[in-house]
Amino acid sequence: MTRTRILLSAGGAALALAATACGGGGDTGGPVELTFWHGYTEADGDVLEGIVDDFNESQDDVTITTEVKTWASIDDSLLTALSAGEGPDIVAMPAERLPVYADKGAFAELDDFYADESSNTADLVEGAASMVEVEGTKYGVPTGFVPLAVYYNTALFEAAGVTEFPQTWDEWVATAERLTVDEDGDGTPEQYGAVLPDHATVANGLWPSLFYGNGGNIVEDGKAVIDSPENAATLEYWRTAIVDGQISPTGVDGIGADELFSAGKAAMTVGGPWMASIAEENGIGYEIAAIPAGPEAQAASAIGVSMGITVDAGDEAQAAAEEFFAHFLNDENAAAWSLGSGWPPLRTDVPTEAVSANPVVVSLTEMSDLGRPLLPGVVNSVDVLAAVDELTQRAMAGEDVDALLAEAQAEIQAALDE
Amino acid sequence: MQHPPARRYRPPAPLGGRRRAQDGSMRRSAKAFGFLAPALIVLGLFVIWPMFSALRLSFTDASGFGEPEWVGLENYAEVFTDPDLLKAVTNTALYTVLFTPTAVLAALGLALLLNSPHLPFRGFFRTALFVPFVVSFAVAAFAWSYLIDPHVGLLNYWLRGMGIQLGNVLQDPQLAMPAVAFVAVWKLFGFYFVIFLAGLQDIPASLYEAARMDGAGPLSRLRHVTLPLLSNTMAFVLVFAMIAALQAFDQIYVMTGGGPYGSTQTLVMEIYESGFRKLELGFASALSYVLLIATLLLSLVQFAFFGRKEKDLA
Amino acid sequence: MSTAASRRRTPRDLRPSTVIATIALLAASAVVLLPIAIIVLTAFKPVAEVNAYPPSLLPDTWTLDNLKTVTSELPFMRLVGNSFVFAGGVTVCALVFDSLAAYALARIDFAGRRLLLVAIIATLMIPFQATLIPLYQLVADLGWVNTYAGLIAPRAADAFGIFFLRQFFLALPRDIDAAARMDGAGEFRIFRSIVLPNAVPALLTLGLFTFVNNWNDLLWPLVFTTDADMGTITSGLTLLTGPSGIVPHGVMMAGSLIAILPLVIAFLFIQRRFIENIATTGLK
Repeated sequence: MTRTRILLSAGGAALALAATACGGGGDTGGPVELTFWHGYTEADGDVLEGIVDDFNESQDDVTITTEVKTWASIDDSLLTALSAGEGPDIVAMPAERLPVYADKGAFAELDDFYADESSNTADLVEGAASMVEVEGTKYGVPTGFVPLAVYYNTALFEAAGVTEFPQTWDEWVATAERLTVDEDGDGTPEQYGAVLPDHATVANGLWPSLFYGNGGNIVEDGKAVIDSPENAATLEYWRTAIVDGQISPTGVDGIGADELFSAGKAAMTVGGPWMASIAEENGIGYEIAAIPAGPEAQAASAIGVSMGITVDAGDEAQAAAEEFFAHFLNDENAAAWSLGSGWPPLRTDVPTEAVSANPVVVSLTEMSDLGRPLLPGVVNSVDVLAAVDELTQRAMAGEDVDALLAEAQAEIQAALDE
Repeated sequence: MQHPPARRYRPPAPLGGRRRAQDGSMRRSAKAFGFLAPALIVLGLFVIWPMFSALRLSFTDASGFGEPEWVGLENYAEVFTDPDLLKAVTNTALYTVLFTPTAVLAALGLALLLNSPHLPFRGFFRTALFVPFVVSFAVAAFAWSYLIDPHVGLLNYWLRGMGIQLGNVLQDPQLAMPAVAFVAVWKLFGFYFVIFLAGLQDIPASLYEAARMDGAGPLSRLRHVTLPLLSNTMAFVLVFAMIAALQAFDQIYVMTGGGPYGSTQTLVMEIYESGFRKLELGFASALSYVLLIATLLLSLVQFAFFGRKEKDLA
Repeated sequence: MSTAASRRRTPRDLRPSTVIATIALLAASAVVLLPIAIIVLTAFKPVAEVNAYPPSLLPDTWTLDNLKTVTSELPFMRLVGNSFVFAGGVTVCALVFDSLAAYALARIDFAGRRLLLVAIIATLMIPFQATLIPLYQLVADLGWVNTYAGLIAPRAADAFGIFFLRQFFLALPRDIDAAARMDGAGEFRIFRSIVLPNAVPALLTLGLFTFVNNWNDLLWPLVFTTDADMGTITSGLTLLTGPSGIVPHGVMMAGSLIAILPLVIAFLFIQRRFIENIATTGLK
């Protein structure tokens, strides 16, 4: 190849590229094509596909194509794709991630949709709906909202002779102590009564739940309120149980907690409905119970998933996507989605009989009153959760609780003020 | 003495008078750019243009959606007043200090050992030591995390058998950074190792003979022959190792996500978090430029230092 | 080779320093190969053994379950194929473009070439995460989203390769092209028929580096391909992460095995040449 030919072929490539760039688009007529990214990869994914297929068949104007990713990779690729106009029309994401996207203008406002009676949004679980709201405006619809619960290993409970699930913190700790086994006496239990992660994923919900139990909170009305005597007492209480009482290993994250439970090395874990399938896969018999009541309240932070309509969707696509949302939330699908995904119904008016076929859903629905949304409407949840992570980790590592709380308070307030 | 003098290529010097020299230089530039054009088009379009776009973004409040607004130097001001940044800088420096000398010395030491002609299994060792380089950072991170897992990790178990309590390494703020740096050493030292090997084999045996004649022992030969003649290789390896260290990301992302409580949050992790998690592209871009300039300065210092050494030798 | 070597070896070679060096190298190799062994062996362990304490290196029972899970959850043939197209495409383009540029930088004396070299090297100093979004926007403007062209083009030339080959071309003796120059051969003919044939070892070495780095790249294919069928095996591994972020070790190791096997086999095939080659590249 001579140099001239190289230059020619480079020119040719440039032309071809220009042609491709201009070639796309321009088709009119036919149904509106929507893309929908979500991270439901298990049985829940199949049910969601079913609902989408059903929607596609029910009318001729809209066709939705789904793209399954992991929740983490949605976060990695959504910004890039949207910034170039190549993003999906609909995207589902962990609920605490929605406010930052909404705040930066990535999602369409849905107040008009909510105002419309045919949207099936009137009876949405209040906590779930609050997680799609930023400064009074709705930016999405919930696809999941479930309070964290205790999943416990029935075989280990039986072996230790525990018959009643604890109802209060003190009972919970006592039970966990009975289930903690250090056979060789080396100071490191082979089996833990519980596994209470101190940072990341589920820990981001566990610690707020414990704070609520003693009457504390993290953020209230847009103000940081983490530095309170109630929270200090909570941290001291659990540090005594976890570090001194050794009822749980320290330095575990949510993922590590799931692993210990599924390996039968911990009798209790705190988690969401996915624990049911993980336990089944690992051949562990389990039951579900509400997080025991603290001195002041019985409450559980809820895990949420929300979906919104992106800025890449035009008016026509937005109308089509809203149609799908209404379909997703209709009587039939509200029940079907709950049954298939194992998450409690998103509408309060779904009758219990409609979901009785799934015992996991039944147990979780019974405790849905305890569920509180995690940091609703907080845009910079990244920094707030990082501050809480640091607080709980360092507290469990034995540092001074009061100083840590003051530090966390300042960091959270700074994150809220941004 | 510039070594090896005979092999250094010097481009042909211009011939003839001044006028002809000018013509010649024009022609040579034209020829050179003919050769350079394809690479420059690719680099210009896909690397330099995005770099300038990022520079432009660093003066805006861009989030990726909608029209970004010009904010002047606000992002840069924020970079230098952000308390998290100081931590990220310290962490990155710590990582660089942990990674660079360890990887470079391990590579150099093993290359020196393997350069000895007496050694058995040379072929096996050379292959084995390079294998980690073909394993991706993500896979390396999974494998090492599993090996040092406090509950089921094999390495943890073996060390416990020897009376060494490794503990929960990735959750320990003192140990997490050494651990992620170690994984990078494991993954990358093989690359530096082969480069040192190449450099060593380029040193003519006659120089060692001459040194031996002068009565130099092995250590003295190492100090007076090997190391000075490796200084170019050393500069090359150090600069690339340092660039790798300053941009540490993959294995940290997989193994610790920046934790425990920010103790492995490096600059690139911070850039990624600002851009992709908090959607503050302008700030992330400003941070990237601060990193670019720091890298550039450090590289120049290293080249100047090792370049000078070589001149002293001459 | 080792038999030939042992035949050559005389008792005189078993000096204490050699013994110590051999022991040190054996220890280093053991540390270096342990993670590889754990990937291969864990891939064949049943779940119970993967999470068992005390752990063991070898599986008690060998199972193909993990590999079956990977092959049923991932379109792994497609992903491996994509990896070959991506890493292979990048390697071919980069070798051509980098060697052309390196030739000019090493062997043509033109104004500003040092500055140009420094500018090219400086492009290595900005983290990829910083240019990712502008780069993606550009590729999208070209209409190349979810195409091989879009995946490959941004990597079709790279600063490291240009620098690497420049060092090699500088070290080639000057007289190799003197005769051709006398005959009035143009630069391109000298490049193609004299310099390139002499550069085969360097090209193979750089080819291996480039192929490996792109095969193993996570972020670019992960972010670039919104269509799962366009992903690479390295980016595809992230799909093995379960809900709530759990990574089942056995399955992940099986996936990792599939991801690294082609590279390890390729390397073992060319390693003799490769190690010899790098010695002749005069890289320094």
